[in-house]
Amino acid sequence: MASEAVVHLIDDDEAVRQSVAFLLATAGFAVRVYDSASAFLDALPTLQAGCIITDIRMPGMDGLELQRQLKARKVTMPVIVITGHADVPLAVEAMKAGAVDLIEKPFSDDTLLAAIAAAIDRHAEHAARDETIAAIRQRMAALSPREREVLDGLLAGLPNKTIAYDLKISARTVEVHRANLMTRMGAGSLAELVRMAFLARSAG
Amino acid sequence: MADRPYQRQGRTRPYGARRSSMTVQETGPETGPETGPETAPDTATDPAAGSAAGSAADMVTDMATERAMAAADVGLWHWDIASGAMHLSATATGLLGGSPATLQDFLGLIDADERPSVAAAMAGIENGLDIGVRTVHGRHLRARGRLSGGEACGILIPADAPMTEDRLATMASAQATLREREAHLTSVLETVPDAMIVINSHGVMQSFSAAAERLFGYRQDEIIGRNVSMLMPSPYREMHDTFLRRYLETGVRKIIGRGRVAVGMRRNGSTFPMELSVGEMISGEKRSFTGFIRDLTERHETQRRLQDLQSELIHMSRFTAMGEMASTLAHELNQPLTAVASYLNGCRRLLTGPDTVQSLMLRDAIDRAAEQALRAGQIIRRLRQFVARGETDRHVEDLGKLIEEASALALVGAKETGVHVRYDLDHRVTTVLADKIQVQQVVLNLIRNAVEAMQETERRYLTIATAQRPGGMAEVSVSDTGPGIPPEIAAHLFQPFVTSKPQGMGVGLSISRTIIEAHGGQLTAEPNPGGGTIFRLTLKAIGDDLDKEEADDGV
Repeated sequence: MASEAVVHLIDDDEAVRQSVAFLLATAGFAVRVYDSASAFLDALPTLQAGCIITDIRMPGMDGLELQRQLKARKVTMPVIVITGHADVPLAVEAMKAGAVDLIEKPFSDDTLLAAIAAAIDRHAEHAARDETIAAIRQRMAALSPREREVLDGLLAGLPNKTIAYDLKISARTVEVHRANLMTRMGAGSLAELVRMAFLARSAG
Repeated sequence: MADRPYQRQGRTRPYGARRSSMTVQETGPETGPETGPETAPDTATDPAAGSAAGSAADMVTDMATERAMAAADVGLWHWDIASGAMHLSATATGLLGGSPATLQDFLGLIDADERPSVAAAMAGIENGLDIGVRTVHGRHLRARGRLSGGEACGILIPADAPMTEDRLATMASAQATLREREAHLTSVLETVPDAMIVINSHGVMQSFSAAAERLFGYRQDEIIGRNVSMLMPSPYREMHDTFLRRYLETGVRKIIGRGRVAVGMRRNGSTFPMELSVGEMISGEKRSFTGFIRDLTERHETQRRLQDLQSELIHMSRFTAMGEMASTLAHELNQPLTAVASYLNGCRRLLTGPDTVQSLMLRDAIDRAAEQALRAGQIIRRLRQFVARGETDRHVEDLGKLIEEASALALVGAKETGVHVRYDLDHRVTTVLADKIQVQQVVLNLIRNAVEAMQETERRYLTIATAQRPGGMAEVSVSDTGPGIPPEIAAHLFQPFVTSKPQGMGVGLSISRTIIEAHGGQLTAEPNPGGGTIFRLTLKAIGDDLDKEEADDGV
């Protein structure tokens, strides 16, 4: 399960840091270790994106506070929490703060590796989707005002004639705008166009 | 029956020995109860005793009168109708020529011819008695008497003795005064909440108050004259007479004037703790003892329950201390276990390449070693879960009652510390879902802390309040006016092994919070605006009222 993704491991216990780093290295991951949450945050600007594995109970900033800090800095890297104290309220807190998984210490390699794989996949998926949405929005922004109006009509499910009437232009002109905006948006069909517009709008 | 409750040198009248007025004395004041036309012996006319204002005590102690009456051949008799016992004074015995113990004996001393008419007259005593009788010895006597309560008493005089109207009136008046006093004393004693029993120097009961009747289940009339040891269980029952005798011989007081806790036995054989105080009365050469008895059953119940709760609390604190330890251990041990498991799993991953027997064995061994590290983690996890779960037994409980009980227990002895307690219960919050014992422990703990916190302060106000809180919760708050919690303690208030008390273990609040959180509530502390601290805990409230209120609030 080798991957180019980097795993950032944060734990105040040196033995845990070294052993888990060793395990992850054998599984083909690039691993970087930090002995505290603040050390990680300090290094953050220079870091390669990847997956974060953090302990919860640490002196200074704890794992939950780290998650809040990451959110505040709009860091989207997935966070996996590992803890020697898993109880229900803690798990709920961690998940609320945005952790993708919570694993109790000690854990089997399969559990940890599966969690990392899932986190990275999901993150990649999200990243891809975010990219698509960004591209669609960019293209939409490039449309002319008239093309925007025609697009709105199409999304409202109106036929060309009605759009023409509403915009006080000829049906023929609507057809031209429609063909142009389809090309600009890179949509092969009306259905695809609608799906794109929906995606762009839904993702806030 | 007391034979001589008041006598010549009588200094005190036996406390509550109301029966004694009916006893026959050589020289007691209970002479002819009725005035009659006969003349009395013209002796012993004592103006003081005779005046209506003259007290009965004067009369009793008037030795001149006593002697005079004896000299004048005025005999006294007393007949207890219920038991049939008769008592005659020495003079009456002399006149009658015998000392009858029963009515039958008495009639036996009457001339056979007159016996039926005397028997009839005695039977009709409630109408008063005034008859002439002839004894078997042929002596003519006059018997007068009347009924009083369940007893009859009267005089016996020679038939030819003169008796002046004056003399009889004097005696009657003295007796009336005496009776009045006695009624007064009796009524006072009836209202004393403690049971009162008077015994003589042989342990024989002379008086048994109404409260004693209620407490022991015996009626006065069936218990008078019996040994007081019947009210004690073995082995005290057998020992009491010895104790009494030893005291009379040695004069060494063990109980008298001190009071102690003893065990009493009711008619139905059940025993109960009681507080016994004994007073001694000496009148002449007679002694009697008065015991005041207070039922301690309820007080003992309270103490026993307090002890139960305390031992439960100790049990809980051990349990929770164990939990805290397990929690700390879990964290500390899980770190190395994580390292062991991770190293081993990493090693196994490195063991790739052609399978040889050795590499297979090695991989298998590493696998098993890693499993054991995980197993150790499981053991710790189970221990924590076991400790965290504890034993809970949640039911719908009446919050007011829960608090009342817990505070009653917590405040045992608090009155002495000068703490003013105020309850401010919200009637809208009536029932909660709780393990009663556990929550009572928390409330008790908070109240005791509050009382303790106020030991050094001048203002000592403890307020225990309930209130409705959003989210279907009920709140219980305990506020004190103590010095408040120092900031360095406040930050770690609920952590185990943190305390501001020299003798404290620092587990009370930690346990309390664990209990309340296990109930789905919260335990918090905040400074009391007027000085001191307020602890608040929440519990899940139950009840239509609350739901309705909540719905209203939500609109």
